[in-house]
Amino acid sequence: MFDNRGQTRIIEAFLAIAVVFSALIISAVTFPSSPTLTKQKSLASLGMQALIELDVNGTLGKLVAQENWIAIKQSLDVVLPIGVSFNLTVYDENLIQLNSQVIQNTNLLGRETVSVQYFCASQSQNIQFFTLRMQLAWTR
Amino acid sequence: MREKQNSGQVLLIAAFIMALLLLSAELYIFDVGKIMYEVELNSLTDFVLAVKIGSRHVVVGSLANVSNGGSSSVLEWNLQNWSSLIGEQYQFGKSVLDYTLEETSPYSSGIWIDWGTNGLGLSSAYANFTCKLLGRENNLNQSYFINVTTMLLIESAFSTIQENDKQINVTINLLNDGNPALAGQITVYYNDQQGNWLIPNETSNNYTISDYGNGTYLASFVASISGQNVEVSAQVIDQREIYVQSNATSTEI
Repeated sequence: MFDNRGQTRIIEAFLAIAVVFSALIISAVTFPSSPTLTKQKSLASLGMQALIELDVNGTLGKLVAQENWIAIKQSLDVVLPIGVSFNLTVYDENLIQLNSQVIQNTNLLGRETVSVQYFCASQSQNIQFFTLRMQLAWTR
Repeated sequence: MREKQNSGQVLLIAAFIMALLLLSAELYIFDVGKIMYEVELNSLTDFVLAVKIGSRHVVVGSLANVSNGGSSSVLEWNLQNWSSLIGEQYQFGKSVLDYTLEETSPYSSGIWIDWGTNGLGLSSAYANFTCKLLGRENNLNQSYFINVTTMLLIESAFSTIQENDKQINVTINLLNDGNPALAGQITVYYNDQQGNWLIPNETSNNYTISDYGNGTYLASFVASISGQNVEVSAQVIDQREIYVQSNATSTEI
């Protein structure tokens, strides 16, 4: 009688452990993991940092004022890490689109994107204000 | 009796499991919340940094305009437009950019222009800002100032070659916000003592200018000037398009 009771307790303990572990495994698979969320958010941060880096010495405003879209695309290619796709749209202060051609490195269709908005002033005697919207996605 | 005891143990274990599951779920929610908080805070910090950079461009551009002959109200006008543009963004919540132009002497409407005759020329702009960002989870309130100054220092010395012909050297130092800076354009003048300010010619005056690459330039030329009072002037546009000029009296060596 005493032996049976002990066995039952051991089985119960094993069962409890199994339930706890399976719960942990299920929760890890079912819930979106926080690193994924961080990855998407860090993409937005990367985009913002890239635009800040181009704007800090006035290059961004200058290139936009010159409507040099190719140079902007090339600069973003250099500043953004490999594996990041982008699509930039430039608007004037009245939100009229300025870029006549697409500023992007690869097509973002079908990809999970994040969007950043950046305000920029040209560093010139006749100051112009621009709003830049950039969509970003990981390519892999 | 024995079955009842076992059932009690199972219930106890089940309760522990439930508690563990609840705790882990809470922990997960807390973790995600913390990440979201940090991410939003980083985004807000980036946004404020971008506003600061833009504010600086506006002040630099306005000073370039004023120093090149524009109205002194240009700074106020441009900052008003910039502030209005920032106020229209709601990506992170409500944002407000307040500014005040420096009025403490020698500044007036945020501008100080002093193109002296003692070898020192100065073009400066000064504005104070407060950026308030009322985010969904975070609020930011940051004050900063932007002081943009282009300073020109010139020194001159001359030696008499024969009669009125003089070899004149003008040393030009350009500073942007206290640091040596390269010039975009330099024009040197001398006074012929008949009321005319003339630009020395490369051929007839043997005009040369040396760039030391550290914001220092040496202009040399020969000019025919009667008397021992040699006045020179330098007009410089720095690489930010800010204009500054200075006059100096040359000393004989």
